Amino acid sequence: MLKVLIPTIMLFPTIWLVSPKWLWTTTTAHSLLIASISLTWLKWTSEAGWTSSNMYLATDPLSTPLLVLTCWLLPLMILASQNHITPEPISRQRSYITLLASLQTFLIMAFGATEIIMFYIMFEATLIPTLIIITRWGNQTERLNAGTYFLFYTLAGSLPLLVALLLLQQSTGTLSMLVLQYSQPLQLNSWGHMIWWAGCLIAFLVKMPLYGVHLWLPKAHVEAPVAGSMVLAAVLLKLGGYGMMRMMVMLDPLSKELAYPFIILALWGIIMTGSICLRQTDLKSLIAYSSVSHMGLVAGGILIQTPWGFSGAIILMIAHGLVSSALFCLANTAYERTHSRTMILARGLQVIFPLTAVWWFIANLANLALPPLPNLMGEIMIITTLFSWSPWTILLTGAGTLITAGYSLYMFLMSQRGPTPNHIMGLQPFHTREHLLMTLHLIPVLLLVTKPELMWGWCY
Amino acid sequence: MNPYVLAILLSSLGLGTTLTFASSHWLLAWMGLEINTLAITPLMAQHHHPRAVEATTKYFLTQATAAAMILFASTTNAWMTGEWSINDLTNPIASTMFMTALALKIGLAPMHFWLPEVLQGLDLTTGLILSTWQKLAPFALIIQTAQTIDPTLLTLLGATSTLVGGWGGLNQTQLRKILAYSSIAHMGWMIIVIQYAPQLTLIALGTYIIMTSAAFLTLKTSFTTKINTLATTWSKNPILTSATALALLSLGGLPPLTGFMPKWLILQELTKQDLPIIATVMALAALISLYFYLRLCYAMTLTISPNTTNSTTPWRIQTTQTLLPLALFTTTALGLLPMTPTIMMLTT
Repeated sequence: MLKVLIPTIMLFPTIWLVSPKWLWTTTTAHSLLIASISLTWLKWTSEAGWTSSNMYLATDPLSTPLLVLTCWLLPLMILASQNHITPEPISRQRSYITLLASLQTFLIMAFGATEIIMFYIMFEATLIPTLIIITRWGNQTERLNAGTYFLFYTLAGSLPLLVALLLLQQSTGTLSMLVLQYSQPLQLNSWGHMIWWAGCLIAFLVKMPLYGVHLWLPKAHVEAPVAGSMVLAAVLLKLGGYGMMRMMVMLDPLSKELAYPFIILALWGIIMTGSICLRQTDLKSLIAYSSVSHMGLVAGGILIQTPWGFSGAIILMIAHGLVSSALFCLANTAYERTHSRTMILARGLQVIFPLTAVWWFIANLANLALPPLPNLMGEIMIITTLFSWSPWTILLTGAGTLITAGYSLYMFLMSQRGPTPNHIMGLQPFHTREHLLMTLHLIPVLLLVTKPELMWGWCY
Repeated sequence: MNPYVLAILLSSLGLGTTLTFASSHWLLAWMGLEINTLAITPLMAQHHHPRAVEATTKYFLTQATAAAMILFASTTNAWMTGEWSINDLTNPIASTMFMTALALKIGLAPMHFWLPEVLQGLDLTTGLILSTWQKLAPFALIIQTAQTIDPTLLTLLGATSTLVGGWGGLNQTQLRKILAYSSIAHMGWMIIVIQYAPQLTLIALGTYIIMTSAAFLTLKTSFTTKINTLATTWSKNPILTSATALALLSLGGLPPLTGFMPKWLILQELTKQDLPIIATVMALAALISLYFYLRLCYAMTLTISPNTTNSTTPWRIQTTQTLLPLALFTTTALGLLPMTPTIMMLTT
């Protein structure tokens, strides 16, 4: 763990001391090195147990895929931000990359934490750099509102979580995940215990987000610059899913009944947000709502607590992280050229950017869960386990799959096919950097087809 | 101000607080509090501005009332129990009167109405002394007598203060009033835990002093007193604006900054004492305060500069103020959370 954490912390002196003309090269190379070192975590020395490094930080098959995703994403974020940050003064460039690196540090410590309060503090700590990225470097006036929504939705959910965790510590005497997995099941039978159950989960459901409390997400994703959108979609939402999976261990047997309203909200949210996607005019907003839709499926999978549900949830989280981030990068390439997120203004791009059309195609196919990509594996596992939990869910999840296919195809056809408007005939061609960025997003998705066991979590 | 006069006043301030700290007899404690009040009055009125004089008068009247009530409470206790010692405030009437008086002294709701107006009339240095130093002596007395005071009163004062501090600050544009309401809210956090774990009150007081000093010193360095002028501080000192944004979020209690430490420890103590509902109410009330801290961050740092300003940027002159205290307090206000075990050990 330290062999990744210390280089990440050393990224801060690197950012501030390197000479200006080598800043982006150095930080990208440094973070790529960290990402490749993080791949060593994928070798688990003990099945379903903790590959511990010290008392406070450890990895296990549940956190490892998310950790690797986080570390992989940092060079991609730096690559994606290069174009719009370079015109700024050098100290502001350094501040921006510092924010990305500090976010990375907090995320590594969050996913690697073995003590739940440590996870909580790091979970909250990720809010500050994200807030600063959204509100300081976003481009429209709505970004202030977006930052406020983001901060307050998350905090209103997570402050009760803090009280709930402190209560848990009172009753069990420890909050170490290593110990809690072997503790006696708690006697949960009163109204107070039900409120405690809700307190444990609401923070993560808001973060995921669950359909009823999802309003912060479209605002935050749309107003954030590309690196902010990438990290939000790819990793920060997964913090919610990861937290839920860790907490569900302790919340039996109340979850059997109490999870019902949340599962219903999650599944209904898939349909609703998918339908909203079909009516969007703003490209980033469409991708944001599609994130809510996928995360609804993940939430449903986690809340029913079956092995396939958990595995499907992690697989879908990883796959969705990569694909959603790829879509935001593609949307950003269109934004940087036309300075508009409106879809009808950037249409028919296949004619002028043919290779990029391939990336759009693959990303959208992945988004609609085409076999054999891991998105499909996750979705199929979750849909199957939901069906075995209750056959009626197939109506919602099946319709959700159809609508997902609908808006993904809509996104592709709208942006790539059709007549190219006259005002965008003369756009700047794609940089190698942008092609590299897309490759680095999509190659892992394709490679995961060959070894999906890396993502199966505890049920491997 | 004449340096000799200033020396006398500042040393009297120090004397008053030390006297109250060192006392075990009520009369001596009262004397220390009165010396503090009298010493700070000329400091408040030093600018002879009508607004400053008004603030001084209001402050003197409230503090004198509170001190008279303390004297009355201690005399009642002496009449009823025959004890003048601070630790022996056992008569319930006396202890309730005493707590109310002290709540008036430090500005706890619902006895908080004087604090925003008084703080608004002062210059920033005196405001800093009022917010930080003047709270020490009353808290010394509260901590010593907390065990005998009615628990309901303490919880009521604490919860009301946090809520009032949050809602009162929402509509303010003057920074000194915002800091006054922030003071009220933080005092609420300190009072709520005092009956269970007085060391957490000390930790909360200590971190509050550090963070508020960072805030006041920043405002002093950039000569700002309202949100409009706060928006141009980036041109005077860009690094300070980023650090202050983080210090304001620390005041709001966000991890991983220092301000999270007292809130976390207090919530832990409250849940240990089987008070989870009060804990949740306090935690959510802190969110209200966070809203106006966030608004200050937006105005100061998080909106794009240097492109859009609503006014001309001020002349930048080399500052003659000493910046070391500002640097120290800001750094401590941001980075003290990993030292929580050390600090807990220091105060137990």
